[in-house]
Amino acid sequence: MMPIRSHHLFSVTPVSDTSLISLPPAAEADLVRRLQARDESAMTMFYDRYSAALYGVIFRIVKAEEEAEDVLQEALVKIWNAFATYDPSKGRLFTWVLNICRNLSIDRIRSRQHRVGSRTQGLDDSLTAQRQAAPTAFRPEHIGLQEITQKLIPEQRRIIDLLYFEGFTQSEVAEELNIPLGTVKTRARTAIKVLSKLIR
Amino acid sequence: MENIQDYIESGILEQYALGELSVAEQAAVEAQAASHSEIREELQQVQETLGFYAEAHVVTPPAGMRERVLTNVLAQIAAPTPSSALRADVDAVAQANHRPAPTETVVRSIGSATAPAPAARSVWAMAASVALILSLAGNALFYSRWQNASTELVAMQNDQARFAQTSQVVERQLGDLRQENEVLRNDEFKAVALAGTKTAPSARARVLFNAVTHKVYVDVRSLPALPAGKQYQLWALDKGKPVDAGVLTAATAIGEGIQHMKDIASAQTFAMTIEPAGGSVNPTLSTMTVVGNI
Repeated sequence: MMPIRSHHLFSVTPVSDTSLISLPPAAEADLVRRLQARDESAMTMFYDRYSAALYGVIFRIVKAEEEAEDVLQEALVKIWNAFATYDPSKGRLFTWVLNICRNLSIDRIRSRQHRVGSRTQGLDDSLTAQRQAAPTAFRPEHIGLQEITQKLIPEQRRIIDLLYFEGFTQSEVAEELNIPLGTVKTRARTAIKVLSKLIR
Repeated sequence: MENIQDYIESGILEQYALGELSVAEQAAVEAQAASHSEIREELQQVQETLGFYAEAHVVTPPAGMRERVLTNVLAQIAAPTPSSALRADVDAVAQANHRPAPTETVVRSIGSATAPAPAARSVWAMAASVALILSLAGNALFYSRWQNASTELVAMQNDQARFAQTSQVVERQLGDLRQENEVLRNDEFKAVALAGTKTAPSARARVLFNAVTHKVYVDVRSLPALPAGKQYQLWALDKGKPVDAGVLTAATAIGEGIQHMKDIASAQTFAMTIEPAGGSVNPTLSTMTVVGNI
């Protein structure tokens, strides 16, 4: 008997690189060099390559067009100013900039929640209200998203969305969904495993 | 590190990638990744997967955003040290416009020695100015065309990457279908019809069981929709004893395709129950939805 849970055999077919945003390594290294050399014209190229993906994530988190644009602009300036701290040996450029955008967006919604709600209870209410308004508001006709929807069970997707787009910690997810922390960890890991099969 | 696998399984890499950790905890993870290649690879995989998840949610930005954002960003980052390519061009133009004056003085000083006709001199100066203006206008035009071209090129590269990705996905789906076809046409596989129980009389599914290789596939025709937090789980009954054959993915449960389940050494009956997401150790018999004998 095989040791672990069932797997979808047909997803294992290797795919070289389904990534559409990430540049090929040589082009990415070139862009990094130009940004390190403080070449401002490289920001235009950076924008054209990454803005749609970054905007997508920011918009998912802050859930308002104007604010998303504002955060994107703030993020780009921050990326430029903090570029010296980017270390290519620690990860891809896209990972680094994505984290900057996520952090700024999450800071933004957290500060908004502080303004809205007084203590934890009020804070939770405002979180719930936002979350209900958001998820299915738009549906990019993107084949990757269709695949994700097919392969993840709704519970897994919900956990990933809470962690990724709502800025919840794993403990907060456990509290929100009223399930043990261990279950959150397992489900998050399983979901990421399922997703990672889609890209390799 | 006592156990690398335990460390990976602990979920700390996911927390790192999701930005949940304190600075000290982050540094600890980075140190672990630096000294253990398994951890490094796993972390990289988690990060790339989350990047892929982000990419899948790409949104077309509102009209005019590119100009607004880029203009503001370039203005902000250019403020302390004016060195952008555009600025350099503007400077060049400014310098070029000032150049005729000193050139004229040089000409005059030579002129005072050889005394050429002043009319001829001003004709030459005018011609030079016209040439310079034309050249500058030409440069400005080429510069803007070049900029447009490079923007279009990036847009086209994006499109191309998108098509490449789509065709990869289609190719993979084709590969899936090919493999399904191989299973379906393989005589070694025995089709076991699973019929609905009293709780779901219209439910239908098939199990394809290869007694030689012990491989098991499931093919759903119709199953009732699942309540939240539940998953279908397949069981093989061997001499009355239930053996877990794995849980069905959401796609399989709605009949999207056939799914490879866990290997089963021997079975006389297959059945499906509804279990909490992730599956159970023992079947919940009251939720048995379909069952069938080999």
